[in-house]
Amino acid sequence: MDFLGEGLRRALALLLGGDAEVSGVVFLTLKVAVTATLTACAIGLPLGFFLATRPFWGRRAAFTLVNTALAFPTVVTGLLLFGLLSRRGPLGGLGWLYTWQAIALGDVCIALPIAAALSAAAVQGVDPRIRRTAQTLGASAWRTAWAVAREARFALAAVITAAFGHVIAEIGSAMIVGGNIRGSTRTLTTAIALYTGQGDFGLALALGVILLVLALLVNIALQVLQGQGHA
Amino acid sequence: MLELVGVRHRYAARVVLDLERFAIPPGALIAMVGPNGSGKSTLLRLLALLERPTEGEVRLDGRAVSGGPARVRPGTVARRSVTLVEQRPILLQGTVRDNLGFGLRARGMRRTEVNRVTEDVAARLGVTPLLERRRHELSEGEVQRVAVARALAVEPRVLLLDEPVSSADRAAAQTLYAALREERRRRPLAICLASHQLEDAYRWADDVRALAEGKLSPVTPENLFRVELPLTGAGDLKHVRVGAIEIAAMTDKTGPAILAVPPTDILVSREPLASSARNVFRGRVIRLARQRAGAVHVTVDVGVELVAVVTEEAAHDLQLMPGGPVVLAFKASAVRVF
Repeated sequence: MDFLGEGLRRALALLLGGDAEVSGVVFLTLKVAVTATLTACAIGLPLGFFLATRPFWGRRAAFTLVNTALAFPTVVTGLLLFGLLSRRGPLGGLGWLYTWQAIALGDVCIALPIAAALSAAAVQGVDPRIRRTAQTLGASAWRTAWAVAREARFALAAVITAAFGHVIAEIGSAMIVGGNIRGSTRTLTTAIALYTGQGDFGLALALGVILLVLALLVNIALQVLQGQGHA
Repeated sequence: MLELVGVRHRYAARVVLDLERFAIPPGALIAMVGPNGSGKSTLLRLLALLERPTEGEVRLDGRAVSGGPARVRPGTVARRSVTLVEQRPILLQGTVRDNLGFGLRARGMRRTEVNRVTEDVAARLGVTPLLERRRHELSEGEVQRVAVARALAVEPRVLLLDEPVSSADRAAAQTLYAALREERRRRPLAICLASHQLEDAYRWADDVRALAEGKLSPVTPENLFRVELPLTGAGDLKHVRVGAIEIAAMTDKTGPAILAVPPTDILVSREPLASSARNVFRGRVIRLARQRAGAVHVTVDVGVELVAVVTEEAAHDLQLMPGGPVVLAFKASAVRVF
């Protein structure tokens, strides 16, 4: 158990000492996670709203597809994305392979089904009279959607939290399309995997603690926002 | 003019509404009556352009605004002509004030104007003390009044009300009806109200229409019975079991149907009369209600409740009073089957 205590001591020292490499990894992780979460939610929430409220041919199949995508292995996502972004791939021209953009793109692919499926469920849980009431009072489609979203705000905040939680903890895709390059594409999760493999347990544990603290802070921030919107 | 034309509306495979035509002319005051499940709420939702009819169309001023061969999707502009207050209305997030202003803000009205209209409509409906409250701080009756005020605030051409006084006490109901009358004095407004209370409907509306099993009754709304018509009978004369009695009706139909006995076709007497009427039932008067000048609706328990209409003079001559014995008679050919 000594190595565990030693690891925790090392973690504390790194956290309090303001290590430049650790700061860089934390900053990159946050940048990727926030970008991916915002992008996934910007697409996924309207998509979920559409799935939940608009009857169309093939709707059930679309639901099945989105729900299946929830369980898609992240390493497979990374693999497919690697094929697309590699020099000979259709998106090779972007030159994104082994950049933070590639990691963010992978995270968007992972978070999008979460945002769409869970927001669809959240909207479906709203009393249908809310939508009818907004419509009968002459609200436009956007204002009606806003009225419904206000009703589902707690569930939608949980959707954002879940999406953020997934992308910040993601490793499979980030490792494949990011390459875990020091000072460039090394995120908290890939760094933890690397340092554990190298036997630097203290550093790996320190990064793990930081990851948990980040997730905790984001959850607290969302809860504060929810509290402010309480009706 | 708001109208449904050739509407057959289905939920899954079940036809819930089947109307050749249903029109609300400008300024009309219509009451829709019918038992629960008769299709009243569905009819109102179609008229409010909140659902598209499976078949047929909804027209506003002669133009198809929902359904039809082109499967027109109702637009916001058409929807702003009609407002529905549901049987169990719900308030949106925010205060009562926010709710009253919702439709006005949706129309792009400026804040000062929204406040003025909100205060005005709240005063008319007696909800001013509730303005700063939120939905969980209101009773069901208060929510219903706020919902009507919210609907009136946007000044629709047609106001649809689904059982608007179902959660209100007598005084609140009177306030509501008075506010609606006042609104109609201020500006042209057509109102279509769904109710299962016939007496309220008669007292309040110019035109009472009955809905049964999704169809408009060809006769007045009283004495409607859901029946199973037998396969056998002497010619077209069938004896149909209705509650504790058997009614003779002339029809060639069989199977499930609605049976209607027009109240004006029922003869009321103190003793059985020798006549051609195939339906003669003894019973006791349950209540007497003066609905229109000179006419009295007599509700009689003959095993089921039947309503007959007699003149005030006849009611006086027969000394009709609650609890008193009477005999009702009507011909088999007077019974309508649809």
